[in-house]
Amino acid sequence: MSGAATVQGIVVRDLIRTTRQRSRLVAGLARPFIWVFLIGAGFNSIARIEGGLSYQAFAYPGGIVMAALFGGMLTAISTVYDREFGMLRLMLASPSGVSAVLAGRTLSATIIGGVQGGIVLACASLAVRLTLPQYAAAAAALVLASLTSATLGLLVAARLTSVENFGGVINIVLFPLFFVSGALYPTAGLPGPLRALARVNPVTYMVDLIRHTFGQPAEFALAVDVGVLVIAAVAAFGLTAMLFDPEQRFVGRKPERGR
Amino acid sequence: MRPAGGAAAPGAAPLAIHAEGLGRDYGPTRALDALDLRVPAGSLVGLVGPNGAGKTTTMLLLATLLAPSRGSARVFDRDVTRDRAGVRRRLGLVFQEPSMDGLLTVEENLLFAGRLAGIGGQAAWTAVRQTMARTGLTARAEQPIRQLSGGWRRLADIARATLHRPDLLILDEPTVGLDPEHRDRMWSLLDAERRDRGATILFSTHYLSEAEPADRVVMLARGAVVADAPPAALRADIGEQVAEIDGPGADALVAGLRDAGLVVMAHRAERGWRVGLSGSRERVTELAGAAPGIARLSIRSPTLEDVYFARTQVPVEA
Repeated sequence: MSGAATVQGIVVRDLIRTTRQRSRLVAGLARPFIWVFLIGAGFNSIARIEGGLSYQAFAYPGGIVMAALFGGMLTAISTVYDREFGMLRLMLASPSGVSAVLAGRTLSATIIGGVQGGIVLACASLAVRLTLPQYAAAAAALVLASLTSATLGLLVAARLTSVENFGGVINIVLFPLFFVSGALYPTAGLPGPLRALARVNPVTYMVDLIRHTFGQPAEFALAVDVGVLVIAAVAAFGLTAMLFDPEQRFVGRKPERGR
Repeated sequence: MRPAGGAAAPGAAPLAIHAEGLGRDYGPTRALDALDLRVPAGSLVGLVGPNGAGKTTTMLLLATLLAPSRGSARVFDRDVTRDRAGVRRRLGLVFQEPSMDGLLTVEENLLFAGRLAGIGGQAAWTAVRQTMARTGLTARAEQPIRQLSGGWRRLADIARATLHRPDLLILDEPTVGLDPEHRDRMWSLLDAERRDRGATILFSTHYLSEAEPADRVVMLARGAVVADAPPAALRADIGEQVAEIDGPGADALVAGLRDAGLVVMAHRAERGWRVGLSGSRERVTELAGAAPGIARLSIRSPTLEDVYFARTQVPVEA
C-alpha cells in the first residue's frame, strides 16, 4: 500500500512537471512531425520503398517511435536532475525504497512516452490509412515501446552523475539508437556492421512492431518483436536495479559543508 | 504522548537514537570515526562542529541514506541497516538545501511528500491541508515553490518533513540563509512538534546560539565526539568566565594567567585569545592592568561558542 502511494506520488509529480515544461513538450512532439512531413516530403520523390509505400507512410511508424523514445527516455533520464538537485534523496528516504522509486519513474516515463507517441499516432491519417483495429494494435505496441524506452532511459541514468552529461547522452545514446533502427530507412541496405548494430538495437524492434500493426512489410516476426522488447525492458530494469547506487548522491560528490 | 522508543535504562525515557561505534569512511577518508550517541525520546539535541567534522555523515547514517562502515545504530529500536523502512517511517528529514520541486506548487509538493511517506488517497489531502494550516502556508498553497522567498521555501520544507507526523526529526543546518523572522518561525514550528507530540529533534547548526535551548549538545571534530552534555554543563566546563584578549602583549598575559593557575582553557583565534578562567575576576583584571600591549580585554560569561573553540580546535600554547 505504501509502495503504491509512493509510485503514485512520483507519477503525478512527473506528469505535472511535463505539462509545465511546455517548450520541452512541444519540441518532443514537433520533432517527429518535422521529420515525417518536412523532410519526408522531400524524400517522397527520391525514395523507393518496398511495397510501393510513400516515404512519409514508411517513416510514420518511426515518427511514432521517435516521440515515444525521446519522451520516455528523457523523462527517465531526468532522474539525473533529481539526483543533482536533491529530489532523489527525498524519494530514496521514502519507506518504500529504491524499488518503488524505480517503478514510479518507469511508469511515469512510460505514460509520458506513450502519450507523446499516442498524439503522433492519432495524427496518422495525415500520412497513412489505418483501420480502427490497426489503431488499437498500434496503441498496444506503443505501450510496449514506451515501456522499453523508459527502462532504457533509467539504465542510462543509473550511473550518470551530473546533468552536464545530459546533452552528450542525447547525442551519444538517443540519436544513434534512433538512426540505427530502421525508423528512417530500411536496415537491409545498411553496411554489415551497422546492420548488425540494428539487430541488437531494441528500437529496431519497436519500429518493426509498429510496422506490423500498420500492415507494412516488417523485417521480423511479430512474436520476435514483442519478445525482444519484453526481454529488453525486463533486462534494462533489472540492470538498473543492480547498478543504481542509492548512496551515489552523497558519496560521489565533492565534500560539502558540514559533512 | 511520547513516542515508543528503544531500550533504555529502567525509569529513563526510551531512546530515540542509540548509536554505538558508528562510523563511515569515504574511500580512504574517515568521515566519522566511532560515534556513541544516546538520544532519549522527546529531547532536543544539537549537533555542532566545524565543516568536515562528520555532522552530515552522522545524520545520513541515522537516516538510513548511508550504510555504516562500522558500528551500529538504532532508531526507536529499529536497526538502520536491517530495518530501513521501519526507521524511515518514523523519520522526518530536512537536508541542507530545501528538497522541494520548484515547478510544483506548495500544495503539490506536500502531496508528493505525503505519498512518498506512504499516505495515499484522501488521507494525503487531509494531511496536506492540516500541515499547511499548522505551518501558515495555506495562503501560499497555489504558489509554485520557485516563486517563494528562501525563508518561505525553507518553511515549506519543514512542513514537508513534518507532514507525516514523524517521531524523530533530523535537520541538517535548517536555518542556513534564513533571516531572523523566518528562523524564529521555524523554531516555533519545531517547538510545537516537541510540545504537542513529543517529537525528538536532532539538528545541526553553525549558529551556536540556536543550540543553547537544546537538552544536549554534541560536538564533533575530525570525525569524533569531543563533547556531549547539556549546554550549561559544557559552559561550566570551560571556566566561570571567559576573557577575550588581543594585542601585542596578549601572549605574555595569557602566559601570566596560566602561571597564576587561572586558566581552564585557552584558544588563540584570528582575533586574539579566548581564555576560560577560574578564580576571581579582580585577580584577572589586576594582571591585565599590569600587562603592557593589551589592545582589547573583555571578560564575560562563557558561551557555547567558547566551548566550540575550546573543544573543536587544536589547542595553542601561549
